[in-house]
Formats: sequence, C-alpha cells, structure tokens
Amino acid sequence: MAAALEFDQVTKEYRSLSSRRSIRALDGFTVQVEAEEIFGFLGPNGAGKSTAIHLAMGFMLPTNGSGRMLGKPFGHSATRRRVGFLAENVALYHRPAEKLIRFYGALNAMDGSNLAKRTRDVLQIVGLEEHAKRNIGKFSRGMLQRAGLAQALVNDPELLILDEPTSALDPLARVMVRELLLSARNNGKTIFLSSHLLSEVELVCDRVAVLHRGKLVRFGKTADLLQSSERIEIVARSIAANAFAGGVAHNGIVRFSVPASDQRLALERVWSLGGEIVSVNPVRRSLEEVFLEVTRDRQTPLAEGVQ
Amino acid sequence: MKPILLIALNFVREQRWPIFVLLLWVVLLAMVGLFADLPRERDDLLFIFKQIAIYVIAFSVFFGASAIYNERRSRRILGVLSKAVARDQYLAGLILGVAMACAIYCFALGATATWTLGSAGFPIPQVWFLMLCLVAACVLAGTVALMFSTFLHPFLAAGATAIVLGLPALASLAFSVRWAYTVPVFVLAANVLKSSFKSPGGVFWLPVGLALLETFFFWALATVIFSRVDIAVEVE
Repeated sequence: MAAALEFDQVTKEYRSLSSRRSIRALDGFTVQVEAEEIFGFLGPNGAGKSTAIHLAMGFMLPTNGSGRMLGKPFGHSATRRRVGFLAENVALYHRPAEKLIRFYGALNAMDGSNLAKRTRDVLQIVGLEEHAKRNIGKFSRGMLQRAGLAQALVNDPELLILDEPTSALDPLARVMVRELLLSARNNGKTIFLSSHLLSEVELVCDRVAVLHRGKLVRFGKTADLLQSSERIEIVARSIAANAFAGGVAHNGIVRFSVPASDQRLALERVWSLGGEIVSVNPVRRSLEEVFLEVTRDRQTPLAEGVQ
Repeated sequence: MKPILLIALNFVREQRWPIFVLLLWVVLLAMVGLFADLPRERDDLLFIFKQIAIYVIAFSVFFGASAIYNERRSRRILGVLSKAVARDQYLAGLILGVAMACAIYCFALGATATWTLGSAGFPIPQVWFLMLCLVAACVLAGTVALMFSTFLHPFLAAGATAIVLGLPALASLAFSVRWAYTVPVFVLAANVLKSSFKSPGGVFWLPVGLALLETFFFWALATVIFSRVDIAVEVE
C-alpha cells in the first residue's frame, strides 16, 4: 500500500537576518506514514513537530530533502482537497459556526446540498450542532477546537493531519475525538496525530515517531515500543514475596521483575523454592516512560529554567 | 475562480469597519450637497468631492499592505491555505478583495456625486469615468502594496509603495509627462484632481488599461516572491 505521507531526508533551517544565526528545526527527517493507520508524532516543545507538519502542508519550504503527500510533492494545492488539517492554537474567522464550516468546505471546491449536508454532519460529529448559528467569536477554547476539527473534517479527507487536536478539550470531548479517530481509521482514512497527550497517543496510534531537537530518535509500532526487551515480569505462586527484590504479593500470587539476562536464573530459583510459574512476560512500559527515556537526557530541568 | 471570489468576499467582510468609516466621508459629501447652495457653491462641492475621492487610494495601500500581515499574525492564513487554494489564487483573492472594498466606496461616492455634482451641472458620465479611474488606481496601488507586504512589514511596504507610486509622478514633473505612465496611479489620480466644471476632462482609456496590465504584472511578481515565503513563521 502506498505511503500517505513521506518525509525523505527533510531538513529545515530557520535563518535570522538580524543575528545571522540559523536554527536547525528539522534534521534529515525521514518517515513514511502508511495509508489507513493512525500515526502518532511526539516530541518535546521545540522538537520540530509543527515544522514537519507545516512543511507537509506546504506552508514552508524545506532547506534540504523532499516529501510527498498522497503521492504528490509537498505544497501541491490540489492534493490538499483530499487532506484535513487542524493547526495548533486554532485561529478561525469570527462568524457563525455553520457559515464558517461552509466557507472552508467551499474553499475545497465543495458546494450545493452536499456541502450543506456535510456541514451539518460534521457539526454534529464534533458536538456543535446546537451552536451552529452562534458566532465562533463567542466560543470557549474547547468549542473553538471542535470547530477547528469540523473544518478539517468537512471535505471527508483521506488524510487527516492534526496538531494537538485535544489540548483544549475536556475528558468527554477527548473520548469523542479518540472514537472519531478510530472510526476514521476503520473507514480507510489515514491520521497523522501530533500530541503531547501520551496516554491518548498510546490508546489510538498504530505507530509512533518521537522527534527530539529535529531528529528522529524513536520510531516503530506502538506495541513494540511499549514492550521492554530489558526487563521481564515473572508471576509465580507458592513463594514468599520477599524471596525476590521488589516482589509484590496479592492473593497468593507474587509479581516481580528481573533483567532479561537473569530470567533463567530467576525461574530456576522459583522452582527451587517450590514455587510454580504462572506467567513470564516482557515488562510493558507506558509511552510516557519511553518518551522520557529518549528525551530526558537532553531536557532542560524546570528548576534551571526558573533560575 | 471560486476560491478567489470566496477569499475576496471574506476580505471585504473582515474589512467591513474600515470600509464603513470610509463611507462616512461619502455621507459627509451627501450632507454638504443637501445643504449647499449648489449653483453658487458648486466649486466648493467639487473640491470636497475630489478630496474625498483621493482618500481611497491611501486606503487601498493600507488594505494591500496589511492584508497578508494580519492573516499571518492571526494564523488564519493557515486555515485558508490548508485547503485546495494555491498561493497565486490567495493573492488574487486579496487583490480582488481590495478592488471590491474600493469599488464599494467609489460606487457610493459616484452615486452621491451623480446627485450632488450632477445637479450642479457636472457631466454624469464623467463622474463615473472618474470613479473607474479611481478604482483602477486603487487596484494597482493596492497590488503594489500587497507585493511589498509579501516580504516587508506593512509600514515598510506602505513606504515602499509610496516610493514606487511617487517616483514616476516626480519624474513626470521634472522631466516628461510620459514618466507618469510607468506606474499610472498619479495619472489616474490627476484625472480626478484636475477635473472642473469648466473642463471636466475627457475619457482616456490608456492609463486605465495600463493600470490593469501592471496590476497583473505586480500580482505575478508577488506570486513569485510569496511562493518562497515561509508563511507559518511568526511575523512579529
């Protein structure tokens, strides 16, 4: 299946005329987003996530490298008819929500009854149908983000590029967005999701890329990234909890983890103590742990920032 | 064509308050016309008409110079250019928007002048030709300002526009009148400023045609420059 989005050795440098300095926001970034997947795009602030998205949308030109979106080079305007985009800190014209969504749909060459119906549908999907006639200048931040999502969905896009789509949403709305993304994926759409909400990404994304200081530092299937090859969790019964460091007992079951290299020794010890093995599994980490592991070494401590 | 029209209409909508303020000048002309002793004070009325008419050129520069900047600063440009809108279409939409905003003003001014100056004996077809000259001047001035604003701050873009529009005018005064036709905003404005009841002026299409041709040229130039601009970079 063809890639929906491809970055090929993309580098982006910002040059300042006044200071003659250049900042490399993206450095030889290469990633392929396959069709019909939800792709999570992670990284600390300033990692280059938004830069990568803006390059894909054609808002910027790469300093080096190239990329393709739905088979066409970045910036191909006609291709954007098949793409939905929600920017971080969504900014929309102040007019009634329904008229606004129709405006953005019309820019994508939609018209007539199809546009009217689709506008109503997307406002319903994002839970704004009761506010369709209200000027979005009076919307809360969360409602604005829903309106932004509606304009991204109005053309029923094949590829949805979302930059922090849930940052201003309440937990209920987040669940709505999560279900929306999963449903879109199941209907054959591709979603490129940039987010700081790691738990959300962990729940919905098929693959994840972690960007740090413009470089790709981790990339793979979410399940593979969360599975640690370094530690093994052993669950056993009929042994004392204190027989192993860090052992926790619950209802006669003892749970502990050991380095993968010590797995054989630990199993033999359980048996030698008269115990019975219930399960042996690689330790599953949270995405937050993975994220911190690959980015923490170079993070600026908060305290340092305060000083 | 549809995206261009949508962007233009959206521009006019976003600029509705400045346009409204502009229209207050037309109301002023109407009020003067209502209370003036037309046969006796007709030259005063024409003076006010010409003064009010020329304001719109300055406003077209203001509209053109600030259009992209405002859209980039508010980040609303991302929403528009994330759709199937090419950058040349986006610029064409803004130019059409400037033209519409100025045309609304010129239409209101023309209608008021038809009533006031027409009653005082000024040829009505000439009123509308002068309005056409004004619209052509505004479209060209706005496009030059828009072109500069693709890479300059609005204040600098307005300054650069003033130089581009003003130099041919100065050259025409110092050397030959032909210089004024290189960027014919001055010629078109002079058409309006020189008209009088005794000599309302003729219908000269050359500067109008030149203005439209140069609008196309500056739009093409703006497109080339704007296609190389990183629009998602903060403009502050």
